[in-house]
Amino acid sequence: MSFQATVQSAQGVVTFRLSGELDSRSAPRFHEMITQAVLPAARRLVLQMADLSYMSSAGLRCLVYAHQRAGSGVAIELVGTRPEVAETIRLTGFDRSLTMLEAGARP
Amino acid sequence: MTATALLVADPATCTEELDRALRHDGFAVSHADIDTPAGRTGPPPDLVLVSASFGLHRVALLSQRLAGPAGSPTVVVFPGDDLDELQSCVRGGFDYVLPPFLPDLLRTRLSSCRERGRLTRAVEEMAAMASLREYERDLSIARDIQTGFLPDALPSPAGWELAARFRPAKQVAGDFYDGFELLDGERLGVVVADVCDKGIGAALFMALIRTLLRHTAQHTDTGDPLHRAVTGTNRYLTRNHLQQGYFATLFFGVLDPGTGMLCYINGGHNPPVIIRASGGRCPLEPTGPAVGMMADSRFEVRQTRLLPGDRLFVYTDGVVEARDAGGGQFGTDRMLDVVTRPAVSADALLDRVDERLRRHVGSAEQSDDITMLALRRQVTGQGSVER
Repeated sequence: MSFQATVQSAQGVVTFRLSGELDSRSAPRFHEMITQAVLPAARRLVLQMADLSYMSSAGLRCLVYAHQRAGSGVAIELVGTRPEVAETIRLTGFDRSLTMLEAGARP
Repeated sequence: MTATALLVADPATCTEELDRALRHDGFAVSHADIDTPAGRTGPPPDLVLVSASFGLHRVALLSQRLAGPAGSPTVVVFPGDDLDELQSCVRGGFDYVLPPFLPDLLRTRLSSCRERGRLTRAVEEMAAMASLREYERDLSIARDIQTGFLPDALPSPAGWELAARFRPAKQVAGDFYDGFELLDGERLGVVVADVCDKGIGAALFMALIRTLLRHTAQHTDTGDPLHRAVTGTNRYLTRNHLQQGYFATLFFGVLDPGTGMLCYINGGHNPPVIIRASGGRCPLEPTGPAVGMMADSRFEVRQTRLLPGDRLFVYTDGVVEARDAGGGQFGTDRMLDVVTRPAVSADALLDRVDERLRRHVGSAEQSDDITMLALRRQVTGQGSVER
């Protein structure tokens, strides 16, 4: 399934909604979206992950990049991450820099 | 075959003289208004004569529209009432003919126009080919240089076998493996790493990370070379390259060939697996996060012991995530199944995994770098410990 992403920003919360497969082919597009989004002004960064079926290391690199752009003061929340994708994140230890939430835990 | 010419002019414009001269010259002439040629079928004409009165913009659009897969016709403008428009077309790069359109004059003029057109197209094609060739040459140089960042040969301490396989998905890779002696040959260092992402960016970071790890490990004579190398590399990357967001998952093991003791750090890497000669297997789970990801990362050194007949299999995610034509992954279970079967040597183990992988992938395109390393303690021979 091809990768799709949308971004919304409201009251200091930047929300990305991801679906499909985030791999080295689709990662540059997501990378560009992160660059365009005004992350330094955000208080919170939310990623809706429920429809993301696969994430390669290129995709994870995008999350690391978002984390760096947003700065350490900005909380990053991953909502509804599927087990396979969560495992990729957990294995690299990047889960320490994130908050993983169940789907529906936050609007 | 008769050469064809298309005369494009406003129907009100008198093009009789031009038409006559072209026919005299042997052309089959057809007429069109500027917007109608879009609907034409059949091969493009050899020559297009356009009235400059349409203006540069429309003439240029027409020229683009007429370009077919086999190339574009020579487009030549002729003046309408306004000579300024002719000038602007000529400045825009179009060749031109001027009245009086006498057959002999026109023939000479047009043949030089067509000659020039062919020359221009040939030069454009050559430039495109040259830039593609230059890019390909750069990539192949990058590949050669990267190969230099992999060991020429792996060390093989007495009683041990060390083997590796490396198959990049593209010309250059983000994966690498290494094997080298430490502490004056007292220890054997083995590394398998996967720099995130692919292509040139990952390849540059591969070269950097491999160098930092090996250099630090080989130049630490006191203390723990393993821990120093991994924490030092993490510190260097996060201090100098955090902005680029590159990181590497890696396994770094340091073996004492005499005793079989293996100290290791697993930095966020797919767990290598030890297959025991006595049966059973033991995954070496991460002891820290990926290297270069976070400035404050801590890496723990753990140890295990390899007994005679035990094998250590280290791999990158390109192995378990290798896809067949239908998108199905090779998977951890299948990989474990293949590596657990008895193997007479480290090479035999890797050959078998490689063969099963190729069979799984079939004709599908290899999507990720594939790297594997196997370390096996021989059952008999020098250096083995009798138990």
